[in-house]
Amino acid sequence: MDPVHSPLGRMLLDEITPVLMIISTPLAEETAQKNGLTFLEMLSPFCSFNNIDVPVRTASDQPYRLRKFKLRIVYASDVRQPDIEVARKRLKQVITSAGEMEQSDLFLDPPPIESVLNTSQPECMPTWFQYFNEELVRTVSFSDHEAFDHPVACLLVVSSNDEEPLSRFADMYNTNQLPPMFNDGSMDPKILKHFLLLHDKQNGSAEKATKVLTGMRSTFGLHDCRLLCINSSRDGLVDHQENLWAPYKSGASANQHLGGFLSSDDLDELRNAMQDLSSNFIIPQMEQRIRVLNQQVSATRKGFRNQIKNLWWRKGKDDAADSSSGSMYTFTSIESQIRVLADFAFMLQDYELALSNYRLLSTDYKLDKAWKQYAGVQEMMGLTYFMLDQSRKEAEYCMENAFHTYLRIGSAGMRNATRCGLWWAEMLKTRDQCKDAAAVYFRISGEEPLHSAVMLEQASYCYLFANPPMLRKYGFHLILSGDLYKKCDQIKHAIRTYRGALSVFKGTEWSHIRDHVHFHIGKWYAFLDTFDVAIKNMLEILACGHQSKATQELFLKDFFQIVQKTGKTFEVLKLQLPVIDIPSLKVFFEDRRTYASLADASAKESLWQSLEEDMVPSASAALLSGNKSSWLQVQTMVLPTKTKDTNVCVAGEAIAVDIGFRNPLQISLSVSCISLICEHSSSSEEGEKAETSFSTQRGHNAFMELSSATTLFTATEVDVSLGGGETILVQLKVTPRVEGALKIVGVRWKLSGSVVGFYNFQSEMPNKKTTKGRRKAKQSPFDNLSFLVIKSLPKLESFIHHLPKTVSAGDLQRLTLELRNPSEIPVKNMKMKISHPRFLRVGSPEVLGMEFPACLEKKASNAKCDEDVKSKASDKLFFFPKDTEIHCKTPLLWPLWLWAATPGKFSFYMSIYYETGDISSIIKYRTLRIHHILEVLPSLDVSFQISPCPSKLQEYLVRLNIVNQTRLESFKLHQLSAVGKEWELSLFQPIDTIFPTGVLMAGQALSCFFKLKNLRTTEDEVSSLEASEGASMRLNHGSNEPVFDMCSSPLFEFHRHERVCQRAYEQQEQQTVDFILISRPQRSNNSLEQTQTNSFDIAAHYACHCRTASTSPVCWLMDGPRIIHHDFSSSLCEIKLKITIYNSSDVSVSVRISTSDSIQPGSSSTSSSVLSANEAGWHDLSLITEMKVTSSISGSGSGIRRPTSPECVPPFIWSGVSSSCVELGPKSTTEVPLLICVFSPGIHDLSNYALHWNYKDVKAGESVLSGTCDGHPYYLTVLQHE
Amino acid sequence: MTSTACFMIVSRNDIPIYEAEVGAAPKKEEAVHQHQFILHAALDIVQDIAWTTSAMFLKSIDRFNDLVVSVYVTAAIHTRLMLLHDSRNDDGIKSFFQEVHELYIKSLLNPLYLPGSRIKSSHFDTKVRALARKYL
Repeated sequence: MDPVHSPLGRMLLDEITPVLMIISTPLAEETAQKNGLTFLEMLSPFCSFNNIDVPVRTASDQPYRLRKFKLRIVYASDVRQPDIEVARKRLKQVITSAGEMEQSDLFLDPPPIESVLNTSQPECMPTWFQYFNEELVRTVSFSDHEAFDHPVACLLVVSSNDEEPLSRFADMYNTNQLPPMFNDGSMDPKILKHFLLLHDKQNGSAEKATKVLTGMRSTFGLHDCRLLCINSSRDGLVDHQENLWAPYKSGASANQHLGGFLSSDDLDELRNAMQDLSSNFIIPQMEQRIRVLNQQVSATRKGFRNQIKNLWWRKGKDDAADSSSGSMYTFTSIESQIRVLADFAFMLQDYELALSNYRLLSTDYKLDKAWKQYAGVQEMMGLTYFMLDQSRKEAEYCMENAFHTYLRIGSAGMRNATRCGLWWAEMLKTRDQCKDAAAVYFRISGEEPLHSAVMLEQASYCYLFANPPMLRKYGFHLILSGDLYKKCDQIKHAIRTYRGALSVFKGTEWSHIRDHVHFHIGKWYAFLDTFDVAIKNMLEILACGHQSKATQELFLKDFFQIVQKTGKTFEVLKLQLPVIDIPSLKVFFEDRRTYASLADASAKESLWQSLEEDMVPSASAALLSGNKSSWLQVQTMVLPTKTKDTNVCVAGEAIAVDIGFRNPLQISLSVSCISLICEHSSSSEEGEKAETSFSTQRGHNAFMELSSATTLFTATEVDVSLGGGETILVQLKVTPRVEGALKIVGVRWKLSGSVVGFYNFQSEMPNKKTTKGRRKAKQSPFDNLSFLVIKSLPKLESFIHHLPKTVSAGDLQRLTLELRNPSEIPVKNMKMKISHPRFLRVGSPEVLGMEFPACLEKKASNAKCDEDVKSKASDKLFFFPKDTEIHCKTPLLWPLWLWAATPGKFSFYMSIYYETGDISSIIKYRTLRIHHILEVLPSLDVSFQISPCPSKLQEYLVRLNIVNQTRLESFKLHQLSAVGKEWELSLFQPIDTIFPTGVLMAGQALSCFFKLKNLRTTEDEVSSLEASEGASMRLNHGSNEPVFDMCSSPLFEFHRHERVCQRAYEQQEQQTVDFILISRPQRSNNSLEQTQTNSFDIAAHYACHCRTASTSPVCWLMDGPRIIHHDFSSSLCEIKLKITIYNSSDVSVSVRISTSDSIQPGSSSTSSSVLSANEAGWHDLSLITEMKVTSSISGSGSGIRRPTSPECVPPFIWSGVSSSCVELGPKSTTEVPLLICVFSPGIHDLSNYALHWNYKDVKAGESVLSGTCDGHPYYLTVLQHE
Repeated sequence: MTSTACFMIVSRNDIPIYEAEVGAAPKKEEAVHQHQFILHAALDIVQDIAWTTSAMFLKSIDRFNDLVVSVYVTAAIHTRLMLLHDSRNDDGIKSFFQEVHELYIKSLLNPLYLPGSRIKSSHFDTKVRALARKYL
């Protein structure tokens, strides 16, 4: 780029131009003031010449033509260094007025960064920067170390009205009128003078003026005088096309009428006068001056001799005047003259000459350590290099050098440094070194915050225009600048910069940056009362969970302050506080499925479906029935096809939506008026949808519409307070009132009572789609938030009285199910199904009227009741009697039995099916679903061990172990029953002696023994009735309390189920016995009332399929004499024995008894090991050791003769057949005779036989088909008969 | 140990995935956003320099007042480990970067960590802070 046309070039050509000093008389000023202008202002528009075309010669006589030329005109009084304070005020004024001007787009959204990048450089950069820069440069004009501000000439202006104009000129000619700078030696007081006589044409003809001019010419010289006539227009209404003076008149508004008396002739005259003055007076004079100075400089400084001399001379001067930097060089000194020469050459655009002289000068100043002067010369060198467009490096080096030198001399050089920096930055910008330019701007920004702000902003634009654009730097510097603007109360500028930065930082992930920008710009907008934009920005920072608590509080406080200032409640579509947890969204509604409580609806649909499977008419069954149109057909008929996939709900029944609200902050929030936004459209007769209420647009009218919509539906409002970091699940309900279509659109809430937030579920739909795969499978109807509202139907309400949350295991309780129908239409055909019949059963209605424990007691009419129950509760599905109808206001009560079978946590699902009387409705039947979670605590641990009685075949010893596993409760044992007709139970000892207290305390264990007798094998057939009674045994000692009947309805049913449940562990069909232990919990630690109600409590513990420890189906008893006296000397002793074998199984068994004379050594040990593991029952006591003790006392060999080794002759042998086979039918007994021969006296253990059994009819699936049992010990004492 | 040090890991698209104030000086609330601004702006410089050199450790590429930005660019340019510091301990910073890079790679190996998402591991955090105490 041609340096002349670059911004810097233009700036230099504007700023570094010859100065024309004006001294005028008051009357002359008055003449100009008639036009509303000072004399200077009047001339200003005519001082700049774009094509003056003046031939000039360089010092070396090379001609060139000067095209562009400008004169700077100043009043003599202004020829001084500007006052810093005034300059500062002026700059501030510039910035403020610039801020005022740029209001228009301040409140719009920041443009996207792409568009900023695409706009050309000058467009997006504020235009006033250049103006500001010029003003800033002017603050350092007329400094004493530079010469280009030295006036080249002085224009003396006298009005023709002045008395004795000539003497006035003479007065002004006096040097006392000159500014002080001329007198202190920094400027040459022998300045060129030009005399101008100003004539006001309104004051008469120019005759007098020409006369004066003639006088002047004769006095001051022919060429130095001039007459200027103005104000030729009489009326002062001359209208100028363009306002020529506006740029030069400070504080002038655009439409102010200026120059009213100046006709176009006057303007031409002014223009001609100034051109003439420039081309014929000033330029030649300057040229002349350059020549003279150049000759002087050449004479004193050029050439080898002069240089040596100069060096020598300077060395001597070195230490003399170092400190007095200010007025070290007067205008007469050679350095000043060189400077003047160089500056004049620069101004006349003879850059070569200027450069050589600047170079010359810079070494001198450097040697003199005149740093300010040195810096000034360096600066000019840099500019000259630039204007010559050569040696860029040199230019930059010079500028940098100058900049540093200015900075080094301290505060005095600061403003010069600023100017230097500005030029430097402009230079870099011209050469597309925007990054470096930005760095320079950054360095210029000094302590003056306002200037720094402007410089930083310019730096940011440099980054923007850099190639490639450095957007982040741009944003950062805009922020820095904005902060400084704010510091200087330039809010509009601050907003402008932040707004620019916003387009960079929009949507950034850098949370602190985002918060900072939005928060500050929001605050500032609020300061300017632009609340809507302010709030829009503040909304961005609300969810600032990453900030500290104090910052969060600050943000929220400011936000609410702004909202309060607006004085209205704000409505925001996507309010970030609190955060809506969309995955937690759950919709509960009731179509044909109704729920006892909304919590029940959260149970899995599949569970309900499997429960209701055989209760609810299936689609195919309904179609097959055919006699009337089924519900499905009706539905397909009535429902329009487009709403086919919508859910059905009933008018007047609430739809509940669970939504999680999460507070991301550490401070608590109050959220009020949370409610659902719904859209209701009632379908008219023709089936076309008519939008009646609640437009989809959520504008300000949403609130108004709400009130009108209440007739169509009502929505609940919920208030919550969210603590820091808390998530609360809120349940919202909407109840449609009228048939039609209802759509849940979103949710609305009010934050801290002032800001209303909306959330639109629909807008999240695409978001949901991504997780559709999983969600869809689980809960497809919940995805859809639109409902078809049908007319109201009866809906049963249920309540279960006395339903506990926790019970102890074994507790038996009677509950009452209450069913109510609030509607007028009766319901009928009720069925009920319960998921856990083991725990919960339906009772018979007559139980309701009875006292609770008493109804279980034994009654005479047991059998009938038994039948009754059996028939009814045969299945899980329970049919209410056909004629049961529930009408309005007459609730149906039905008993339920709850028995806690095993400890643990259980979920009960109950479903009640009912049909409505209304045929016309789409929904023919409904189900009421009840869900209850019951926790069963362990209470008593009951175990039984049965072992056969060795002495009697059909008797067993039962050991009952009870451990109270609770911590606090104590139990009173009530009764033990063995279920079954054939059993008889009796105590060994009266209960008072075994268990004197009768109450089992917490943690206590008890074991007691019973005798159990099987009645069936005794062959006398007892009636079932008697048997069942005989099986129970009272365990309490008060004994006035009645015995409970095990066949009464709930106990029997539960027992039956328990049998089924416990059978799972059984492998084999065996003779088993079921025990029921009934205890009464004693919860005495509670209040009186509590104990009273609990006194009716019953706990039942079932132990089914108890049996003896052995796996064999056969049991036997050896019978025979125990003590025999025999004379062994005469003969050997033959003893008859008898084995009675009983087959306890249902299958016939063949048994083979095999005897062996030698005993397998392992047999006894195995049996003992088995027994040692067993605690209870009959043990084979190891008599051997015991007997050994006795034998040691007796001394003789009368110990047990156990055949210990095969080689010694056994003391007895089995005689007769070594094995005999018998067949046993099911549950039959047989006797087998045996015979042994005993050879010697002693105590003999006749256990060396074995019973081999195997099932006759082999059934598939039986795991044990045969087995072997070793003989029981049978001790036979044979004594020598004396 | 430096008085001010702000460490950040910046992932693809200039999304910060980890940030920690690891300086010894007590944490100042208002300094946090300033540090973010400086580091964010320094990304412009990183963008220029990263392609001109094969070194991963770019020391003192940018400065703001007396705060200096050093950057460690991982092999796949996307991830940049940035440290804002006021000390001149280049060797320490280099070692710090190398060790943190190793940690970062380890966390990348975690199959449950989605590359480019925020590093929330408290283990990572404590390790980084320990390294900062050791080297900076």
